[in-house]
Amino acid sequence: MTDIIDPKAPASGASAPIATAAREAVEESRPQGRRVRVLSADLSAVGEPALWAFGGALALGIILIAAFLAMVAWNGFSTFWPKPIAQVELRDGTLLAGEPTRHNRFRPGDNVLATLDDEQRAFVEANDGFSDRTLYKTANYDLYGDDFRWVADFEVAEVTYPEDFHLFQRQQWGDFVGRVAGLVIDGEPREFDYRLMQREQSAARARFNEIRRIEQREIGALNHRIERERLAIRRAELRHGADSETAQRLIAEAQANIAAHQEEFAELQARVNEIREIDRRYRVTLEEIDGRTVDTELSQIVRFYPANALSFLDKLGIYVSRWWEFLSTEPREANTQGGVLPAIFGTVAMTMLMVVFVAPFGVITALYLREYAKQGRLTSIVRISVNNLAGVPSIVYGVFGLGFFAYTMGGSIDQLFFPEALPNPTFGKGGILWASLTLALLTVPVVIVASEEALSAVPRSMREGSLACGASKWQTIRYVVLPKALPGIMTGMILAMARGAGEVAPLMLVGVVKLAPALPVDGFFPFIHLDRSFMHLGFHIFDVGFQSRNSEAGKPMVFVTTLLLLILIVTMNASAIFIRNRLKKKYAGGHF
Amino acid sequence: MADTTRTDAHSEDYGTELKNQQSAAAIENRLRQRSMDTRTSVKLGENVARWVITVGGLLVIVAVLGIMVFLFRVVMPMLAGGEELGSVRHQLATDQDVIWINGDEFQTLGSVVGTEGRVITFHVPTGTEVSREEFDFEGATVTAVSGTLARDRVAFGFDDGTVRFATIGFDSQSTSRRNMPPGLTELDERDRMLDGRVFTEVGTGDFRTLSAVSELGPSEQISEFPIVAIDYRVGGTRERPVLAFATVDSEGAVRVSRSRVQLNMMTGEETVTTTTVEAPPLPLEDGVSVTAVLLSGNADRAVVGADNGFVYRYDLRNFDDPQLAERRRVGDEGVAVTAMTFLSGEESLVVGSEDGSIRVYFRLQTGTDETTDGRELVRARTHASMPAAVVDLSEAQRHKEFVAVDAEGNVWVIHSTSDQVLFEFARSGDVTTESSAMIFPRSNGVMLVSQGGEMEAWQYRNRHPEVTLGVLFGRIWYEGYDEPTFVWQSTAAVDTAEPKYSLVPLVFGTLKAAFYAMIFAAPIALMAAVYTSEFVHRGVRATVKPVMEMMEALPTVVLGFIAALVLAPFVEEWIAAVLLGFIAVPTGLMIGAFAWQMLPARIVLRYDGMPKFLLMGLSIVVTAWIAYNLGPLFEDVLFDGSFRAWTTGRIGTGTPFMFIILLPLSYMAVAWGFRRSMGAAFSAKMRTLERHVAGRLDALRWLALFFAALALSYTVASFLTLIGYDPRGGFVDSYQQRNALVVGFVMAFAVIPNIYTLTEDALNSVPPHLRAGSLATGATPWQTAMWVVLPTAASGVFSAMMMGFGRAVGETMIVVMAAGNTPIMEWNIFSGLRTLSANIAIELPEAVKDSTNYRVLFLAALTLFLMTFFINTLAELVRQRFRKRAFQL
Repeated sequence: MTDIIDPKAPASGASAPIATAAREAVEESRPQGRRVRVLSADLSAVGEPALWAFGGALALGIILIAAFLAMVAWNGFSTFWPKPIAQVELRDGTLLAGEPTRHNRFRPGDNVLATLDDEQRAFVEANDGFSDRTLYKTANYDLYGDDFRWVADFEVAEVTYPEDFHLFQRQQWGDFVGRVAGLVIDGEPREFDYRLMQREQSAARARFNEIRRIEQREIGALNHRIERERLAIRRAELRHGADSETAQRLIAEAQANIAAHQEEFAELQARVNEIREIDRRYRVTLEEIDGRTVDTELSQIVRFYPANALSFLDKLGIYVSRWWEFLSTEPREANTQGGVLPAIFGTVAMTMLMVVFVAPFGVITALYLREYAKQGRLTSIVRISVNNLAGVPSIVYGVFGLGFFAYTMGGSIDQLFFPEALPNPTFGKGGILWASLTLALLTVPVVIVASEEALSAVPRSMREGSLACGASKWQTIRYVVLPKALPGIMTGMILAMARGAGEVAPLMLVGVVKLAPALPVDGFFPFIHLDRSFMHLGFHIFDVGFQSRNSEAGKPMVFVTTLLLLILIVTMNASAIFIRNRLKKKYAGGHF
Repeated sequence: MADTTRTDAHSEDYGTELKNQQSAAAIENRLRQRSMDTRTSVKLGENVARWVITVGGLLVIVAVLGIMVFLFRVVMPMLAGGEELGSVRHQLATDQDVIWINGDEFQTLGSVVGTEGRVITFHVPTGTEVSREEFDFEGATVTAVSGTLARDRVAFGFDDGTVRFATIGFDSQSTSRRNMPPGLTELDERDRMLDGRVFTEVGTGDFRTLSAVSELGPSEQISEFPIVAIDYRVGGTRERPVLAFATVDSEGAVRVSRSRVQLNMMTGEETVTTTTVEAPPLPLEDGVSVTAVLLSGNADRAVVGADNGFVYRYDLRNFDDPQLAERRRVGDEGVAVTAMTFLSGEESLVVGSEDGSIRVYFRLQTGTDETTDGRELVRARTHASMPAAVVDLSEAQRHKEFVAVDAEGNVWVIHSTSDQVLFEFARSGDVTTESSAMIFPRSNGVMLVSQGGEMEAWQYRNRHPEVTLGVLFGRIWYEGYDEPTFVWQSTAAVDTAEPKYSLVPLVFGTLKAAFYAMIFAAPIALMAAVYTSEFVHRGVRATVKPVMEMMEALPTVVLGFIAALVLAPFVEEWIAAVLLGFIAVPTGLMIGAFAWQMLPARIVLRYDGMPKFLLMGLSIVVTAWIAYNLGPLFEDVLFDGSFRAWTTGRIGTGTPFMFIILLPLSYMAVAWGFRRSMGAAFSAKMRTLERHVAGRLDALRWLALFFAALALSYTVASFLTLIGYDPRGGFVDSYQQRNALVVGFVMAFAVIPNIYTLTEDALNSVPPHLRAGSLATGATPWQTAMWVVLPTAASGVFSAMMMGFGRAVGETMIVVMAAGNTPIMEWNIFSGLRTLSANIAIELPEAVKDSTNYRVLFLAALTLFLMTFFINTLAELVRQRFRKRAFQL
């Protein structure tokens, strides 16, 4: 990078003109004697413009990454921060209320301009035909049929932030922006009081959660048992023949059990109805800006706050509680609200299961390549195979997983072990087991490459030392090489996990679903249900972003989920890289 | 690698040496007390480990081959032909000439109708008569007969000019084992019979009960002359069916009747309104007679075939005023049309002729003047010719399949879309007698009954008749299309639509996406890698490289989401600014470079490194910001105010866009010209100047060249416009929000880290002594990089590019989300696309296992696999060679 070019040292003969020029330059400089060290040069030898292009490419890459990460981080972290509710009065007199979500500049089309009055047009023209506009989240989907509205600056007459506007997060229909018009506590109309409403709302939520608990846990358990008895009937029929005595006896037993369960079911249902009855006596009437009202049970309101009357601490509290809700609850409203707990759980469980499969496979192959195989044609083929495994598109693994694991292997398992459930497949469809096997196949090259690197970093002297002491080859590997290489191998595992956690395309074919009815791990025997489909953070992004009723409404959720996934993956990667770099340093002079 | 081998070999030698020493007597003496034998467990462990690890290591090969073989195994049945499962032949006691046959979907029962009205229902596998019924035709003789597509409604035309309608169908019910009546007669090992009902045991232990249903309606007088041809159709919706029939009498008069059935919702009463119109008479010469008539289900068109080789098409859209729209000769002069049928869906007209040829015609909107409605019958397909005159054509209910019978008793089952003869059967016995043939409703058998009551049935299985290699990779003329094309449309709203399984648009989409991705990714990744490897400080590299590697692990679903929901709307709104950015950012960097050259050497030396790099980044940000602000102005000046309107081709000329596209090329041309003409003199001059002065001169040179390039580019672009070239319609066309530009850009984002890391590794493995040598002889780092490092690493760089390309080919989520998923074939950078991978991701979750679509999607996966397999294997071979060479240097 030095720019002092001694004329005596001409540019290398890269191209003819430069070479001749250089020779001329040398000849010219000779008679000048001591003035040789003039700071002049053939600038083309330095290639400054090309350097800038090269450096620019690198800078561009870094800027793009930074911008990308910054955008995701900003959108993700700001989503849950409570925003004020603006009351916007338009020039034509309409009122609307909503959270300002984003601003941008746009160029109103001719058809829009034609509808404007002179003042507005002048406003637009003063901006070179542009105007700013704001997207307001007006919410109230049940009344408006839409969640959002763009408002251009030239339409606005006045923006105010009235203190009595609240944001209500509801169990159904998304958010509501408006005032409280009436409150009914235990069947009696009451004056609105924030504290009172808050107290009653948390009580109502407790009741709501109680119903949820009964329905999900207890009734769920009952359903599970009834289903098991039903399968028992079917199994008895299949095993002993429908008319045989044994079968009849077993069937009668099972049916008695079912009847007992159904009685329990009725009891639980009665309890649920009781609570519901109480619930109906606590109501709230919400009023939107134009005076239309919605009457709802208090228990349907997940959270509410006076958006324009919050102190910083209040906001912080809401922010934290919304994050907690996001991380610890199940999704609602077609996944666009609520939390992602099942998706986090599914992602983690699938990845863990994947590591169980990928670890031995990857390490053994690496050992083969590094320690056992004679370098030659065979290892070359193995390397090509590894490279191909790494290069085959992930979707092809999904196709293979669906066709081979789910349909072929799963189909056989069903026929052998679960004939009573047929034609409903148990293992013969996508499930967490097949998904993790598929991903194990997909990530095995990562583990192989990393393990190989780790094995080759173990100094030769250590091996020789061990062998010299009389240890056998396997003993050397087992007690000397592997322990030394373990951190490197772990790095490979972490990288594989990061890769597996972020992969979505194959999962779409082998078992990921938008809403899993049950987690793959629960309290029923055998506790870990490898045949169940699961939710996944990556697929959640795809599903909410692209398959929900309103992608704009799902966007904040997508950004937060994206942020979560990115944090997960970046953390894994960063730790892997960190471990690797430390290892490199450790082994830099690693011979002893 | 070579080193380790030696180690291994060495260590093994070491082991044997040790053993040799053990056997040496001296040592034996010394260590007499202790056994020096290796314990068996250790030996065993050694062997087990060796085996497990070797097998495990080779499992990788098994995995790759296994995937390939499995995909092949799923795909192969699709391309295999069908199999014949056997045939039966029985004589039925009809005593009348058979004119109509029908069979049920399970191939259990068949019915035949005689000329005088005897209906016999029989058990197909054994030929046993199950039931019989006599239709009272009141002495008239049937002269023409036709049925609907489902064959259960039949129309008879009589010699006295009347028509009658009948139902000849089957009723299927389920009977449980407990309710089975006693006294069943055994027919064969599967079926039992009682009172005109046939019981078949089905898998679940219940019985399927089949019986014939027949009913004759009253007669209607249509003509005074015998009816020679008739066609009967049911159209409309289920709630409001339209019954229509067309007749041709012996005088050539064509009549069409349409009955609308309206169901009164309140009373449940049906009201039938029938209207009959007489169409304009057929312009037939003497001695020419009508052989067949066809009517569409909605009674909006009718086609009549005659033995002079012509078909006549009536336009009945205005039912009160029928028009003879078209008269068209099919086949050679004077070759009679002997049989006609519509394929299911009534889009394709199959015409069989006296010479055995079978042709398929589509009615297309061509705007021709020769017909009254601007449409005409166009021959779309010509199937294999039969050995003799085609005497009967009968279409299948579910596929685009039909059975053709010729005068020599050949019975062919032909699939029209894939243009293949699926099966060739031959009648036995007297093949010259007339016969009726049909395909069973599930397209798995053919039944044929001769006039004399001789019944033959063939059973076959062909799961994927609609797919051949020609369908997958060739142009096919589909129903409703103007010409043969490549189309992917595996499912449609209506059942009768032809599935279209051309993989070509998907392969095209895959390559298009990968191509545009590589346009962005390859230069950026390559240049960034060279810069990192050759020009930045070691410390900077240690941070930059992990960042890039981290980018490699970014889930593509995230990138796809950003592309589709953030980037695509932004680019759509600011497309002009984005285009300007493509010019502005490189220009900005160049300005930066030349400004840098003008600085005095002292400053340059001092701030070389990180500050310079930051300056580069700053220059990018600033120029991007300028482009964003100047975008609208740029749009106004070059594209008449709206780039998106411009792309549709309605406003402006192609000049401005070509001007932009040609700019880099013209700059290269101008620069090359300058170098050839005065490059040497200029260098010599520069050499005599001081650095900052030379820098100023160089900047001037660049500015001059830049403006010259602008002028040249604009001239060439104007010239191209002058000679009539317009890029719109080619690689630029109307703008869609989710397009190849966005996909290419974001996919580049996904591919760059891949190429970058591999390229950087390749450059890094160039031995340092080459660099040192080059620098020592006085070359600048730039010259060293360009003429020493890059050429040495070329094969490694190439392999990196290949791997990046392979990744782009297989990328799924970005394309699914941001590419619009339209399987169209155009290079337009502003239109969407559908790739093989996206297609699989979208359609496979819905595909039924082992269905045609399922197998075609597996073929798509196999194609993808083979494409990447080829690319990766090549890349890996190149890389292995490169590494060997790099070690030797």
